[in-house]
Amino acid sequence: MSAATMTPAELKAQEKAAKKAEKERQKRVARDEAAERKRAAKTGFSNPANPTRSIGLTIVCAIFAVYCLFPFVYLVINATKTQADFTSTFGLGFGHTFALWDNIVTVFTYQDGIFGRWFVNTILYVVVGAGGATLLAIMGGYALAKFRFPGRNLCFAIIIGAISVPGIALAVPQFLLFAKVGLTNTPWSMIIPSLVSTFGLYLMWIFSDQAVPDELLEAARVDGAGEFRTFFQISLPLLAPGIVTTALFAIVATWNNYFLPLIMLKDADWYPLTIGLNQWKDQASTAGGQAIQNLVITGSLITIIPLVIAFLCLQKYWQSGLAAGAVKE
Amino acid sequence: MRNIKKVIAATAAVATLVGLAACGGGSDNSSNQGDADNAELVFWGWDSGNSMKDIIKGFEKANPGITVKFNNTGTAEKTSTALSNAIAAGNGAPDVVMLEDPTVTQFAVTDGLVDLSEFGADKLADDFAAGPWNKLQYNNKPYALPIDSGPEMFFYNKAVFDKAGVDGESIKTWDDYYEAAKKIRATGSYITNLAGTSNDYQPFTAQVWQAGAQPWKVDGENITINMTKDAGMKKYIQFVQKLIDEDLVDTKTPNWSDDWNRELNDGTIASLTIGAWMPVNLMSGAPDQAGNWRVAQLPQWEEGQEVSAEDGGSALSVVKLSKNQAAAYKFVEYMTHGDGAQEMADTGTFPSLKKILQSDSFTDPTTEGNKKTNDYFGGQNVNEVLSEAAQRPTEKFQYLPYNPFAQSAYGDEVSKAYTKEITLEQALKNYGDKLAKQGEDQGYTVTVK
Amino acid sequence: MSEQTLGAASAQTGLLPEMTSRHTAQARINKHKADWRGWKFMWPFALVFVFVFIIPIVYAIFISFFKKQMIGGTKFVGFENYSRLFVDQQFWSSVWRVALFTIVQVPIMLFLAAAMALALDSMKLHGTKFFRISTFLPYAVPAVVSTMIWGFVYGAKYGLVGSFNDFFGTNLDVLAPDVLLAAIGNINTWEFTGYNMLIFYSSLSTIPHSLYEAASIDGASEWQIVKRIKLPELRGSLAITVIFSIIGSFQLFNEPSILQNMVPGNAITTYYTPNMYAYNLSFSGNQSNYAAALAITMAVITMAIAYAVQLRSMKEQMK
Repeated sequence: MSAATMTPAELKAQEKAAKKAEKERQKRVARDEAAERKRAAKTGFSNPANPTRSIGLTIVCAIFAVYCLFPFVYLVINATKTQADFTSTFGLGFGHTFALWDNIVTVFTYQDGIFGRWFVNTILYVVVGAGGATLLAIMGGYALAKFRFPGRNLCFAIIIGAISVPGIALAVPQFLLFAKVGLTNTPWSMIIPSLVSTFGLYLMWIFSDQAVPDELLEAARVDGAGEFRTFFQISLPLLAPGIVTTALFAIVATWNNYFLPLIMLKDADWYPLTIGLNQWKDQASTAGGQAIQNLVITGSLITIIPLVIAFLCLQKYWQSGLAAGAVKE
Repeated sequence: MRNIKKVIAATAAVATLVGLAACGGGSDNSSNQGDADNAELVFWGWDSGNSMKDIIKGFEKANPGITVKFNNTGTAEKTSTALSNAIAAGNGAPDVVMLEDPTVTQFAVTDGLVDLSEFGADKLADDFAAGPWNKLQYNNKPYALPIDSGPEMFFYNKAVFDKAGVDGESIKTWDDYYEAAKKIRATGSYITNLAGTSNDYQPFTAQVWQAGAQPWKVDGENITINMTKDAGMKKYIQFVQKLIDEDLVDTKTPNWSDDWNRELNDGTIASLTIGAWMPVNLMSGAPDQAGNWRVAQLPQWEEGQEVSAEDGGSALSVVKLSKNQAAAYKFVEYMTHGDGAQEMADTGTFPSLKKILQSDSFTDPTTEGNKKTNDYFGGQNVNEVLSEAAQRPTEKFQYLPYNPFAQSAYGDEVSKAYTKEITLEQALKNYGDKLAKQGEDQGYTVTVK
Repeated sequence: MSEQTLGAASAQTGLLPEMTSRHTAQARINKHKADWRGWKFMWPFALVFVFVFIIPIVYAIFISFFKKQMIGGTKFVGFENYSRLFVDQQFWSSVWRVALFTIVQVPIMLFLAAAMALALDSMKLHGTKFFRISTFLPYAVPAVVSTMIWGFVYGAKYGLVGSFNDFFGTNLDVLAPDVLLAAIGNINTWEFTGYNMLIFYSSLSTIPHSLYEAASIDGASEWQIVKRIKLPELRGSLAITVIFSIIGSFQLFNEPSILQNMVPGNAITTYYTPNMYAYNLSFSGNQSNYAAALAITMAVITMAIAYAVQLRSMKEQMK
């Protein structure tokens, strides 16, 4: 490239133009494909892979959907039962009384309303933990894709090796380490482990590899922009769909995290929802304890709802993000 | 290659660091009594009656310089796991911990708990029922004080018994029990469930305890295991094998499963021999049988005997890592021996303090708590029956210092007898061998008889 | 299992970029000026990773050479724990069990996921969006809750299986020891099919439609398009999903340990899977040193298998 002979202003203009052209091209492609799909779906013409909708295939898929969804039916039905109905009536039939609202109210008021506290904790862990995990994964993935730094190749081997070690056996060493540093029983003992999303790292690495053209970075560097400015101003916007995907997987992982907080946290005030619900569940099998399975079921249902909403909101980003990871040359 | 060398060097450095750090966590024996009147205590335990906060408030009022932070650690198992982790780490341990009785010895052996006779707890021996008190001694020193107890009782569903033509009150011996089991089986129900899972370990120990058996004996660093040749064990094995062979017990339903509650609720399981804390669980787990359940004394091995045994029960201990041991003991004393004990009993915990067991208010059928329980038991004065059982004599019984292992291995080995793969005798023999191996692994000298 | 599988997903980290030769070539051009700049971005992840994973692993390796006894304290024993593990039948029985589980469950799950992805991608379905979300939804359910639900379904007395038996007069028991592993496999399939489906589905949606058009002009049938264009496209993502599913099933823990209390007898022992064995050794057996040796050994076995599979799929890629 004849960058040396250009003035910075020219360079900038050129870079801008390139960026704009690239963006436009991508937009155009997306528009075309969307239109094409729509047309395919409607007229059944331009998609050669038989566009007419098949009732037969839909029925087969519907069977599979029933398999996926009927456990949720169980959850919803049982959330409407009292504890007495839960033990005495059939699992997929309704109870004698419809107690859904009572259950919801009791979930939020039982033990001085500790469920609300768990809910807030979980959100805190998700925002800080999963948010941080996403940021770290973006930066790490970007570094792996765009720089050939010393130790880079070792990173892969070490990460694969590390996650092959059964997590259960690491729990005690992890606990001892956190205890040494004085972090057990604080929110940090939940947040710090959540910051590592190896799957996110992988995803962002692949995504950076494909979504951020090297030419663009070169241009910015020649322009004199620092690495971080380049990263934030040029790369980040291009990475948006991948970021959403990484964030989503990190959110689910943190939201459902169970084993590590179980070891790390002893103060019910810092429990996330999963630990709290499990504690309620255990109450039924404790000598002299009151069974509150109805609250466990209702609480589980409430726990799932935010994740479902997150899925629904983000599913359009989702495909493109993951797609990058799966693309074969 | 250069990189690999670097990594190895770094790894070695880290290993040394971690190793050193981990070894530094031992307990030193210097006095950590602290100020008995001024302290911030941390207390780990579970809270079956949902009453801990109120009781703690009472304590703080009586001891203005001391505050207690209660961390609900969920279950007995989780609490003892957490405690051993914290002891290993050398910090983050609570001052006071609630433990299930059988695990107390383990922590006493490994020097995790304070010998409470330092604070004069040994003088309280006569105030507590013998069963729970005896379980908490190690080297004849109390390492915990009982907060609740569970004398083994015979709970039965009168409606099912009536249908089978059995009078529950007349079951005095295990032979009577066997005859009743046959009649109940004829109606389609089972007299009880026995599945040999790890959840059945405590009822198992209670039953062999009552039979006077000593499946294991611990004497300092020596352990003797006598699982099948001990006279009491023989009696027990023969009896249970008969129940299994004649299909008189439900061998498919483990204790504490959802199915278990449902079978108690629909009358499939007609009776239980289980700890005296069971009424609360029955009331929430088997609501449809309200009015039908009754409680009676445990059947005896010999006619005319009055031998009891303990199933479950928990206790409070002071953790050796605590810097406020004196204040911690004050709290333990309040909860188990002082005003807190009465409050615990009032909210449904089964007491082990003789004073409470014998008090009029404990058996007074007009108190709100008692009325609720008695209604469920068809108007029977439940606490009167339980109180009698708690004051019956018990044999001395010791748990193994590696009790959690004994409990989980029980499920692995003994359940094979209930799925009828092997005989109970063989299963218990295998179990004994496994316990012996674990003992040797832990440095004990083990003799198997 | 979810955290582990998520982590496991990144097993792929070593795989793909090596295959994408174009980028490697580009990277080489940059190499002389790249130097240490990458660490500016890498260090935060690396730092946390070292703290959360590497140090505990190093510690686990370290303690696996010791033995701690209630009587006698801690002493150095060299490789004793490993040699003991080598002849420990309980350990090997658990390894074979998860190996069997992996061989059967992973292909079924991935087949279902791929079939569902192809169906969704075919655009022949009424309500594609609904199917997409409903397939994925089970992944949102914490393992604790999903096992509770399936425990109800499996119940031979009060559960769905029980009602089925009452209705048809059969005597099915899916929690019987010989079919139990399949019952657990079903729970895992339910939980993770959607997750894998989405990875396949998104890789399918990257195929440019011009390719289909070209194929159809050439007179390719629908089936040929699936075989010639779509299935080869899935190979890359198949490698990812295979590897992280292997790691995930080798670490099987949550489902069997929650089911343990619902299953009669010793169908689920404390050494049912290597992970359960490790858990029981360190938490109720007071043998955390031996458990550490077990964990390290399992990691080596898992890595060996993951690499072997990865190697095969890479060879396929080169065909």
